[in-house]
Amino acid sequence: MLEVIKPGVQMCIQDLGRHGHRHLGVSQSGVMDPMALHIANLLLDNAPNTAVLEITVGLAQLKFTTATNFALTGGDLNARLDDTPLTPGWRYFSKPGQILSFASSSDALRAYLSVEGGFTLNTVLGSHSTDVQAGFGGFDGSALAAGDQLHYESCVAKSSAGALQPPYHKQIRILPGPHCERLSLTTQQLLCTQQWQVSPDSNRMGMRLSASEPVTHQVSINSQAVLPGTVQLPPNGAPIVLLNDCQTTGGYPMVAQVIAADLRHFAQLSAGDMINFTLVTPARAYQETQQQQYHLNQLRFALTHRDRSIS
Amino acid sequence: MTQEQTYLLGEQAVVLDLNCARLDNEQQNRLFALHRHLQKQARYTDIVVGKTSLTLVLQDHTQCAKWQEALLTLWQSLSAEDFQPTTHTIPVIYGGEAGPDLAPLAEQLNLSPKDIVELHSSPTYQVKFLGFLPGFAYLGSVPEQLQVARLNSPRTHVPAGSVAIAEDLSAIYPSASPGGWRLLGHSTTRLFDANVQSPSLFQPGDNVKFVPQKEGLC
Repeated sequence: MLEVIKPGVQMCIQDLGRHGHRHLGVSQSGVMDPMALHIANLLLDNAPNTAVLEITVGLAQLKFTTATNFALTGGDLNARLDDTPLTPGWRYFSKPGQILSFASSSDALRAYLSVEGGFTLNTVLGSHSTDVQAGFGGFDGSALAAGDQLHYESCVAKSSAGALQPPYHKQIRILPGPHCERLSLTTQQLLCTQQWQVSPDSNRMGMRLSASEPVTHQVSINSQAVLPGTVQLPPNGAPIVLLNDCQTTGGYPMVAQVIAADLRHFAQLSAGDMINFTLVTPARAYQETQQQQYHLNQLRFALTHRDRSIS
Repeated sequence: MTQEQTYLLGEQAVVLDLNCARLDNEQQNRLFALHRHLQKQARYTDIVVGKTSLTLVLQDHTQCAKWQEALLTLWQSLSAEDFQPTTHTIPVIYGGEAGPDLAPLAEQLNLSPKDIVELHSSPTYQVKFLGFLPGFAYLGSVPEQLQVARLNSPRTHVPAGSVAIAEDLSAIYPSASPGGWRLLGHSTTRLFDANVQSPSLFQPGDNVKFVPQKEGLC
């Protein structure tokens, strides 16, 4: 099993999220970086939606009490297996008793850890994701604490394998939101023509942004469905990019929607980081999602080929 | 008259926006009829009813254009009678520790505590939509005499089961959480259980009737 020695800032179990219950007020949850989950599971030949551990900030220590292959993906939080430095995007083997530790990094925020065969967990409403606000899913519905133990089946060693991960960007592509036309033209322009700084009070529910020229307005709307990636604009003019743990409805104008392929970048943004928005077409947005699928297919193909030729 | 329209939210969600301040009973029930219809007919990830809108999150983005048309057609062709709501009876203990805001509110509105209980428990409420917390249903409408703003400073802890009001809406907190609504009473009815197939007692459009219990003020 995997024993938590030091949990760091927030370490929680996530899969691709809980879907189909938003009309009952149930959030999506799920990994902030779906590509990182897919890559980690491909490296271990796991089922595509196998739950992984999301490590935020780092400053964490875990002990593998049984042998396993594991994959490390996402941001580089300077992880080590005992004294050996590890590279994100690779799979490794741990003998019983080895310790996986994460330091931290100024340019990465979240790392992902998957074990071969996945952790043994209960499904709640069709998902293994931890809904921290509601207190269900994952490991007892909460972030992991020191002493918690996650079970998995031990397995025989595979050789190390990996590949470069797609890079993270601070240039975020958006589609226009439905309420733009109710706001003045300058309001829309201001969103795309200036840099936005990530505020400290950002979390998995949403990322608050600030800029020298806030986009203030007086427009309110009737509460309607919001989704991860929806950019809300409260009257104070500081946009909020809603993320995985966001509520299901909201009453602030929706001025943009982050394209699905770019949502993963928010996993690595921390307070003080500067980001830009660029408007794209829906066709471009689909193309980017396809591109990601293509990357995963290539990786799957390469790994299958490699593992076969070795064994 | 409403000028309903449909638009996209991101890559795979289609929104039917009824573009009005509020819905009348006929429109509201027609919207719930549409929700139930789509639950049976569409290939979707989520369908979320808002105050004056419905959002359909599709599994396949190539279906967006089709559904932008279809939602408008369906909205026109369905009628309020196509919706048959379930009615829930919720026993409530009003006042005292169960409803700490009831006595001060009575004073503020120049009513007796019993008047407040009577006003709050007289309507048959409708679940307008759910949100905020899993199973948290926005219930409308609170009688006009009882419509008050949220607390100036929200409580850091509202116990699960608290029956509360804010503006023209009432609600029951399905789990403990921070909250700024005024607490009138308490109910022991379980509203949400993540471990069962149908986790929420209340579905959009359901009717809710509060029944004052003799342990409280009545």
